[in-house]
Amino acid sequence: MEAIYSLTFLVGVLFQSDWIGSGTPDPLRPWLPPFQLSEGMKRVLEEINSVNAYQVPNLPKKREPVYAYTPLDVTPFRHVEPHKRHFLEQMEYWGPGRAIPEPQDLKTVKIGFIGPLVPTVSVAVGGRSHNEERMGIKMLQGAKLAIEEANERGGYVRRGIPFELIVRNDNGLWGSTGNEVIDLAYKEQVWAILGSIDGANTHIAIRVGLKIELPMMSSGDLDPTYIETNIPWVFRCISDDRQQAYLLVDYMYRKLDLKRVAILRSSNRYGRFGVREVVDGSRRLGRPIVVEMAYPVGCQDFSIQLERIEQAKADAVVHWGNAEDGARALNQMRARGMTQPFFACDRCLAPEFVEIAGPNAEGVICASPWNPDRNDPIFLAFKERFRARFNEEPETYAAHAYDGMNMLLWAIQVAGLNRAKIRDVLAYRPEPFVGVTGEIPLSAVNDDAGEVYLAKFVGGKWHYYSRQELGLPPREILVRPPAEQTVQVGPARAVQE
Amino acid sequence: MRGGIVAFLLALTGGLLWGVGAVLAGDTTPATPSGAQPTVTPASVPADQSAEQLTNVPLPFVYTKWRHFTVEDGLPNDHIFAVKVDGPRVWIGTENGLACYDKRTGKMRVWKEEDGLPWRVVTAIDIDRKTGDVWLGLFGGGLARFSGGRFDHYHQLNSGLVNDVVYGVAVENDHVWAATTAGASRLNLKTGQWTIFTEKNAPMEEIWNYAVHYRDGKVHLAVWGSGVLEFDVATERWQVYLDPDREMEIDLYRDDGIIHVITTGANYVDGILWVSSYFGLSRYDGRRWRGFYAHETGMPSDFTNSLRARSGQECYFAHDKGLGVIAHFDSDTYASYTRDQKTLRGKAAVFRSGKKLIELDLEKTIPHNFCICVDVDEKDIWVGTSKGLGWGIGDGYYPGVRENPVWLAEYNQSRQKQDLTAASTPTTTGQ
Repeated sequence: MEAIYSLTFLVGVLFQSDWIGSGTPDPLRPWLPPFQLSEGMKRVLEEINSVNAYQVPNLPKKREPVYAYTPLDVTPFRHVEPHKRHFLEQMEYWGPGRAIPEPQDLKTVKIGFIGPLVPTVSVAVGGRSHNEERMGIKMLQGAKLAIEEANERGGYVRRGIPFELIVRNDNGLWGSTGNEVIDLAYKEQVWAILGSIDGANTHIAIRVGLKIELPMMSSGDLDPTYIETNIPWVFRCISDDRQQAYLLVDYMYRKLDLKRVAILRSSNRYGRFGVREVVDGSRRLGRPIVVEMAYPVGCQDFSIQLERIEQAKADAVVHWGNAEDGARALNQMRARGMTQPFFACDRCLAPEFVEIAGPNAEGVICASPWNPDRNDPIFLAFKERFRARFNEEPETYAAHAYDGMNMLLWAIQVAGLNRAKIRDVLAYRPEPFVGVTGEIPLSAVNDDAGEVYLAKFVGGKWHYYSRQELGLPPREILVRPPAEQTVQVGPARAVQE
Repeated sequence: MRGGIVAFLLALTGGLLWGVGAVLAGDTTPATPSGAQPTVTPASVPADQSAEQLTNVPLPFVYTKWRHFTVEDGLPNDHIFAVKVDGPRVWIGTENGLACYDKRTGKMRVWKEEDGLPWRVVTAIDIDRKTGDVWLGLFGGGLARFSGGRFDHYHQLNSGLVNDVVYGVAVENDHVWAATTAGASRLNLKTGQWTIFTEKNAPMEEIWNYAVHYRDGKVHLAVWGSGVLEFDVATERWQVYLDPDREMEIDLYRDDGIIHVITTGANYVDGILWVSSYFGLSRYDGRRWRGFYAHETGMPSDFTNSLRARSGQECYFAHDKGLGVIAHFDSDTYASYTRDQKTLRGKAAVFRSGKKLIELDLEKTIPHNFCICVDVDEKDIWVGTSKGLGWGIGDGYYPGVRENPVWLAEYNQSRQKQDLTAASTPTTTGQ
């Protein structure tokens, strides 16, 4: 009788507990069990667990007045009210997936990883690789560390079985990423996928994810259109090129008052879509880009592009492409006597850029989706663990992959093994996810709506600046009409010279 | 006392576990006899809408008689990705197998991988009218021809198929087209020659093909991120239709072109091009575009998985929140079919110029609100959903709009009968 009494009590506790897992919480890894569900998260969970195959959870949808904090004066066709604005209301999933029972015969909980790991060929760049393996390997390291740490804490705590990372290479050849996602979904039966970096391949992957109803988390594809597809299964835990471009445009024109900016970009989807908001923002602020020059990935000789930029009398150059290409272009610029400021995308924050550029790196300004200079104990502890595990420093792609994988692991611990519920708890989580890259607040379209930064290379080090530290108005103010932009800008931190 | 507490806790726990089990089991719908004759059995119409008052208002045909098919009726899987009518046969592509329903015999045949089907997930079906061959788009498995009881398999490694993730298939004269995730492929059935269409030889801004349709000398490809591409078979020339504002986050003007470049379907019927997307719908008559949004039409949603046009006036749309119909373009008339989440009964509604004219409460409409595919079968329609296949039976179907339609009279009669039944039932309250 005592045993039955205890069992009943335990079952009761299981159903009433706010905690996932047991033991002592780790304040430096709050995503790991044991963690407590917030009141808001408990309500989400109750609602999604209460519906049958024909019902949709009755949960409040996120609604945003402006898409992606687009400043009013760089809004497309801002003098005309468009017939329809998209992406302002949270997407919903109306399928029956929440009613699929959790399988009982699993030995591991599989999670897919897809990223560029080995040099491959790509249709999009005329048969040559995108040279993204460096980022893909870092991304894999971050994902692996997250899985290993979760398994050290008991794996999937409801069953006490480990998580298993199923790794696939991302290859642009004949759209093979689509085949890999099919394989992960139907043969490996993964519960979610983390990936990838290449915009075109990631688009292929999410189209498959939508059809087969599988959560997809991107930690490395910064293509703004990735999230602009209205797919309720797609998430991103890194701020995109749109946000980076808005900050860069603000800084170049509102702060530095530049007049004639040129663009030098890679001739692939990353370069083409990455600069799109720079081009549009410059034009809308009355400073159209004077020339936009594309180069093939891996380009060694930039003379044609630089000659045109010189002819255009540009007073600054924005580069969007890989670190090695950017550094070579910068060196050739300086060798030609071109002294214009050099701005770049976050890929040029890689050590390779500084190694190749040498002293020319001094003064370069890059956009960054995060601030790795923070004295955040969660991040500092992660750096230590990452170094101990890989004997390397974590950079943007490793840190964001670690966060993205932890978001998926957290969602599985909370929701259980049901793809639709994993999607739900990520989408409806009331609080921002707190990761090693900072807070990750998801927008109505499940995109990372967090702040972005500019980094300036001075004295052999990147120095990171927030919008406020740069003396720029907050994003929330710039979306308002000019008459309402009355906020005082906080004290700026002097940008290193 | 202690025993009482234990018993209470056990009962409570048992109840909780039962409830969780019922939810996990996934279906609280009462079982439907698969062979039952469909009937119109309205329950009630909201007080602010009167079906009787609409007798002189031109109305479109409304499907009031439906049958549902699920795994209990022999389908290999409830997740329906494709449906194609071939005379008396209805081919059904599911997430785990192919099925063929014979309307004459009421029998369902099924093929799975163990029966020779090259890959479990069938996402597209078309019929070669000359040969009767059934062409299958396999999601991750390439393309298959089902002929004479045999499956011939075409994939990236043994043919000119550009990618194995096939979203759409269409037979055009002596060619078979496949819309894949990395371009389109065309097989010449006479010569066996393959042609691949990507950004290199077609005006594809992106290569993510989603749907293909052939009719009246034109092949239309719906391409994610590249709008709609039209291939003229006679001249082999391409025409591309893009969203003129070229912005993802807005539709500047509704009627200036397709409303968004992320398209999911295109049908060309009677010289009219119908287009679906995850953002709304478009129609093009060769001179004028017209966009359609749920908030202006009454259709269930803007998120549209696919479409099927019956004519230049009438088109069916598989939305994530139900089935939408542009029932009669000229009179700005629309219809929607949904399944009530609480009662699980069917709902049909008719709208004109944004105003709801009538809402019908029916025993059945579509099997699930998440509609994925639809096909027109003379007077009938077939709707594939995330949880079963629906057959809308078009007894008395008519195109366009009509005053005093038979379906309305039947509905009103049925309603009156129900009111009488309710009135004759003695009440025990209000004493």
